[in-house]
Amino acid sequence: MSQLELRDIRKTYAGALDETLKGINIDIASGEFLTLVGPSGCGKSTLMNSIAGLETITGGSIVVDGKDISGMEPKDRDIAMVFQSYALYPTMSVRENIAFGLKIRGMPKEEIRQEVERVADLLQISPLLDKKPSRLSGGQQQRVAMGRALARRPKIYLFDEPLSNLDAKLRVEMRTEIKKLHQRLKTTIVYVTHDQIEAMTLADRIAVLKDGELQQLGTPKEVYDTPENLFVASFMGSPSMSFIDVTVERSDTGLSVTVEGSDGRTLALPVPEYLENWAGNRVVLGIRPEHISQPDEQKRDNMMVEEGRFTVEVTEPTGPDVIAVIRLNGIDVQCRLDAEHPVEWGEDAELMFDMRKVVFFDPQSEKRIRPQ
Amino acid sequence: MTDVVRTGFRPSRIAIYGVLLLACLVYLIPLIIMLITSFKTPMDIRTGNLLALPTDWTVMGWTKAWSEACTGVQCEGVRGFFWNSFKMTVPAVLISTLLGAFNGYVLSKWKFKGSDLMFGMLLFGCFVPFQVVLLPMAATLGKLGLANTTAGLVLVHVIYGVAFTTLFFRNYYVAVPDALVKAARLDGAGFFTIFFRILLPLSTPIFMVSLIWQFTQIWNDFLFGVVFASGDSQPITVALNNLVNTSTGVKEYNVDMAAAMIAALPTLVVYIVAGKYFIRGLTAGSVKG
Repeated sequence: MSQLELRDIRKTYAGALDETLKGINIDIASGEFLTLVGPSGCGKSTLMNSIAGLETITGGSIVVDGKDISGMEPKDRDIAMVFQSYALYPTMSVRENIAFGLKIRGMPKEEIRQEVERVADLLQISPLLDKKPSRLSGGQQQRVAMGRALARRPKIYLFDEPLSNLDAKLRVEMRTEIKKLHQRLKTTIVYVTHDQIEAMTLADRIAVLKDGELQQLGTPKEVYDTPENLFVASFMGSPSMSFIDVTVERSDTGLSVTVEGSDGRTLALPVPEYLENWAGNRVVLGIRPEHISQPDEQKRDNMMVEEGRFTVEVTEPTGPDVIAVIRLNGIDVQCRLDAEHPVEWGEDAELMFDMRKVVFFDPQSEKRIRPQ
Repeated sequence: MTDVVRTGFRPSRIAIYGVLLLACLVYLIPLIIMLITSFKTPMDIRTGNLLALPTDWTVMGWTKAWSEACTGVQCEGVRGFFWNSFKMTVPAVLISTLLGAFNGYVLSKWKFKGSDLMFGMLLFGCFVPFQVVLLPMAATLGKLGLANTTAGLVLVHVIYGVAFTTLFFRNYYVAVPDALVKAARLDGAGFFTIFFRILLPLSTPIFMVSLIWQFTQIWNDFLFGVVFASGDSQPITVALNNLVNTSTGVKEYNVDMAAAMIAALPTLVVYIVAGKYFIRGLTAGSVKG
C-alpha cells in the first residue's frame, strides 16, 4: 500500500513533433483505485508504461511514498502490472508463472510455495497450478496474470486494459471480482481502460485523458454529473449526453431556453439563475437521457421541471428501459423512458424534462459554465 | 451423408498420383543408382546394367571407402575426414545458432538507434559469394594463426552462418509479444535472464530450422574446406573429391558411390530426425501468449 504522485509528467517520443504527455499531475492516495480513461491515442498506455519504468519520461517526476523513482529500472520500482494480452510465459506452468518473479528476487523455496498457494486460493486457481497457459480459457489466463502480479505484494498495481480481451459476460464478472479484490486487499491500483463503464464502476477516482492532457480528475459521480468540458461530457455515459445549441432568454418567470421539435413545436425550458450573465447569448445545453423521461406526478410541481410533446423518431428497448430518440433543434436527443411506458416510433409522446441536473457549456471554450 | 464419402478411383485422382509418382521416381533415380552401385562388385558394375540390382550383394565398397581407399598418397579411407567434418560442423553449427539467437533477441526486443539498419546490413552477409572473401579470409586466418586448422574453418563458417541464423531468429522473435519481455522486466528479470528463461525456451522450432540449415550448409561446403584446410584437417567433402580423383588403375565405382553415400548420410539423418520441426518452424507465425 503506497502513495503515488505524478508530477508534471512529460513524454516526447524520439523523432515525434508533438508531446505524447503534456504535463500530467495526479496524486493517488494509498489504497486508492484510480482509472485512467480516454480514447485510443490519448497517452494513457504511455503514462502507465512510464509509471512501470518500461518507458523513460522526458520531464517531471514519479514519486512513490515520497521517493522519486523516475530514474529507476522497472525491477527496482516494486510495481506489478497486468497486461491486456496477459503476457503469461508460455513455456512455464501456472505455478512457475506466479513464482517466476519471486524466484528471481531470491525468495526461499518454501516461502515461494506458500505465497503461490495463498495467491492461488485468493483467485481460486489452485486446480490450474500445473497446467500450461495455453490450456487455460481467457478468463483463467486473466486470473493467472492477476495472480502473478499479486504474488510479489508490490507497492502499486498497474492494470493495462486487463478485461478487453474477454467476452462481454466474463468481462462483467471479472470486473466485479477485481472490485471485490480491491476492497479486500486495499491496494493502490492504477487501471487503464477505454471503456467508460469499467472506469465508472471500478474507480474511486477517474482521470480522463485526451491528447496527452488531463481533462478532469474526480470521483465517478463528479465526472458524470459535472463534467469539466464537452469532451468529458461526451465520453462518460452511455447512451451519451446530447448537446443542443440554445440561446438563454429572460422572461418574467426567470431564465429559459427554447427547444424546437422536428414538427416545429417549441418548448421553453427553465434554466438556473447562474446563467444570468449569459442572457441573450448562445450556450450548449448538455442533457443526459435520464433527464428526459415519462411524466412523473411527484416531480410535476418542481420549478425546474417542464413537460412537452414531441415526435419519437426511434425506440431502442434495452430491457429495463426504452431509449426514445427525439429531434430538438435539429439534433437527435436520447430520452430514457420506463420500459412499461408505451411509446411507438412515429407517434407523439408526452415527455418530462428535468432541468435540475443538466449542464451548460461555453460554445467557444467548450468548458462547463460553473455556478457562481 | 452417404454419397459425400467418395472412394478415390476417379480418373483425375489417378492422373494426379501418377504424375506425382513419376516425379518422385525421376528425383530418386540418382540416389537409387548410387545405392545399388555401392553394393555391387567391380565385376558386376563392368558387365551389368546401370539400373540392375547387384547379382552379389557386397559391402566391400563401403568398408573400403571407410578405411582403405586412397585419398591422394594416403590410403586410409574417408574415416578420418568424416570425423574431421564432425569436429568442424558441430561447433560451427552450435556457435552460429546461439549467436544468431542472441543477435535476433537484441535486434527484435532491445532495439537501439540504428538497429534496423544494422539488421539490414547483416542481411547482406547472406548474399556475399564465398569466392569474394577467399583471399582476405586466408590473410586473416594467417594473422590469427588459424590457417589450415579446424578452428579456423569453424570461425569461417560461424562468420558466414551468423547472417542466416540472425535472420531466422530475429524474424521469429518479432512475432513474440513484447508484453512478455515487459512482464519479465517487471518481474525483475534482466537482459540475460529474459533471453535464457523466456525467449530461448520458446525457440525450439526455429532452433531446429537453424540447426538443419547450418548443418547442411557447413557439412556440404567444399570451397572453404579445400582452401582453408589441408592434409589431416580436411573435411569429408574434400576427401571425397580426392578419393574419386585418385586413380590406381581401374575405377572403383562402388567405392566412389559408397564414399559419396557416407559423406551424404549425416545431413540426411539430421533432416529425418529434426525435419518435422523444419516445416513447423518455417511456417510458425505467432506464439500464443
